[in-house]
Amino acid sequence: MKKMALRLFGIAAVIIAVMGIVPAEQVRAEEVIKIGWIADMGGIGASFYKSQKEGIEMFIEETNASGGFMGKKLELVIRDSDLKADVGANLARELILNEKCEYLIGPTSSAVALAATKVAKEFKKVIFFHTSNTEKLTTTDFHPYMFQVVPNTGIEGRGIAYFLAQKPYKNYGYIGLDYAYGHDQHDAFKESLLKGNPNAKIVAEVWPKTDEKNYGSYIPTLMAQNPEVIYSSLWGGALSTFIKQAIPYGLFKKTTLSSLYDLDMLRAMGQEMPENLMGYTRCPFYAVNTPQMKVFVDKYHQKFKEWPADWAIMAYDGLLVLKKAVDTAGSTDSEKVSKALDGLKWTSLRGERYIRAEDHMANVGIYVGVSAKDSRYKDFLILKDVVEVPAEKVWMSVDEIKALRAKNPQ
Amino acid sequence: MMNLQFMLFILINGLSQGMVLFIIASGLSLVFGVLRVINFAHGSLYMIGAFLAFSLSSLFAGKTLFAFLMLMLLVPPAVAVLGLGLEVSLFRRIYRKEHLLQLLLTYSLVLILDGLTRIIWGGQIRNVPRPEILAGSLDLFGLFFPSYNLFLLIMGPLIAAGLWTLLYRSRAGNYIRAAVTYPEMLGALGVNVPGVMTATFMLGCFLAGLGGVFMSALANIDLSIGMERIIECFAVVVIGGLGSVGGALLGSLIIGVGVAFIQIYFSRMALVFPYVIMALVLIIRPWGLFGKPER
Repeated sequence: MKKMALRLFGIAAVIIAVMGIVPAEQVRAEEVIKIGWIADMGGIGASFYKSQKEGIEMFIEETNASGGFMGKKLELVIRDSDLKADVGANLARELILNEKCEYLIGPTSSAVALAATKVAKEFKKVIFFHTSNTEKLTTTDFHPYMFQVVPNTGIEGRGIAYFLAQKPYKNYGYIGLDYAYGHDQHDAFKESLLKGNPNAKIVAEVWPKTDEKNYGSYIPTLMAQNPEVIYSSLWGGALSTFIKQAIPYGLFKKTTLSSLYDLDMLRAMGQEMPENLMGYTRCPFYAVNTPQMKVFVDKYHQKFKEWPADWAIMAYDGLLVLKKAVDTAGSTDSEKVSKALDGLKWTSLRGERYIRAEDHMANVGIYVGVSAKDSRYKDFLILKDVVEVPAEKVWMSVDEIKALRAKNPQ
Repeated sequence: MMNLQFMLFILINGLSQGMVLFIIASGLSLVFGVLRVINFAHGSLYMIGAFLAFSLSSLFAGKTLFAFLMLMLLVPPAVAVLGLGLEVSLFRRIYRKEHLLQLLLTYSLVLILDGLTRIIWGGQIRNVPRPEILAGSLDLFGLFFPSYNLFLLIMGPLIAAGLWTLLYRSRAGNYIRAAVTYPEMLGALGVNVPGVMTATFMLGCFLAGLGGVFMSALANIDLSIGMERIIECFAVVVIGGLGSVGGALLGSLIIGVGVAFIQIYFSRMALVFPYVIMALVLIIRPWGLFGKPER
């Protein structure tokens, strides 16, 4: 008898468990909101990916701990586009159709970004860009479901030119990789440099190919014209290789190099990075003095045992915008969220910021400073005496954007 | 811009680039010459050599010449041992198979080795510091040349001479060369032909690893360097002649110096230059400058 009771009890337990699981599964499916990330994991994208992933995962963990988006838990789905635009477009489609992602997070490569943004537009899903920064995303290829939290190529090129034009330099050199980004930066830079300082002249220009590992021909070519400052649109591994190879030629004894000194690049150079080079970065954790940045940096450092690169911060920042837009819309639906984006104000890690209504470009500027050793950071140099060139000073005006869009209808 | 100093700068830069290219391409050429396998994964082995150099250099934590010599002594054998594993487990099975199958295997190895590299070392850009004594520049008649490039100019010919001695003045070299032309006869003479093939493959990997060490201090390294380099190496091997070490040297120097000068005057053409030369060689002398027509 006792045995029988035990058996019944066991059966009951199983039935309850099964019944319990099934509805729980159903509820779970409804309570989850999926975010699809078209990432560039390989090649030159790899170091960016690592930082971005840490920033994104930290946000999701924090947000889920405090109730998610409107009570729905966030779930991240990652795909690798491998820096290929066509792959990125297919993955964006797959993330929306098969994985039922409500929002998309953009990649590192601008080419992939341009392909993915078209898909987001087609399916009316919100997508944001935190690293890929071609100005086309917010101008000719704009649609209301996208937003951009990284200073775009125009803000960068014109921003550094705006800054340098106030300096007494006259003779400039230029080195850029021979593809769209290098030429865009060159044009934006040259135009606003000459506007700010009509006496300035670009005395030497060199255009290495994109995977160049040897700048031994370009360095003497630049030096032969004695520029006081070289502006470079090289970045990442290309930039650190250029600097490494230029040091023994004595380039930096006479010339300063103005370029994108993001944290990953500075970490790659380590203590070999020359001091006193005037450059800029997109989002330096060590120079942005806001309370929210301090909290973020401390937490990040504790969690990952390293300092957050620009890419981690901006990816996190983009998700903050998304959260604010969801709260403002009172809905997780992409359609409603996108409407809330127009002119949305949010508390960025960089301080109070807004999304400009006409192009969904956040008013994020670049940070300019001079490379220097710092006793707090043993493994890399940082920029000191950092000033922000505000986006409003150098971004395209709404009229300019409208004219550009009229010329390039989508 | 046309002055002598400038030209010398470019020439030395081109020659030193050519030397690194030679070290890697000679391994590829050797493997093809003896084993008749086009090893796409050669670039990945070179990349692994570079990353091993990075790990070891942070272990030694010094910028001394000694530390760098240790990299040169330790990394290539390590890559050769990896090659041993690959040869015994995989390559050995495809020597007499069709080229398509070989390509499939070596290309999938590229994906696997690149993936492993990413798992082990992560995707960050890595920097191997040059030893202190080679980090600066050398004052030659009032001109400053990067010491490290000059160092490569010395190492390249030394390695070429070492390879030549090994191949043409040693018993092992006799076996390797015999294995190229008459493997059956070599076997009939009681020589362990599979052993010779394994050793040759390991030698090729050794050279890939050595190239990785030299490259790691020349430029920064990341996950893309293997794929970039292997294509250039193919051009070198085709220009020089499949299986010819001397040809690999000549091909590397043509490309190294040619690219260095073209970068200045027609930088747009630098990308296609190696392939233009390769195409020309294929038209005029399909077996390469130093190669022999196929029997």
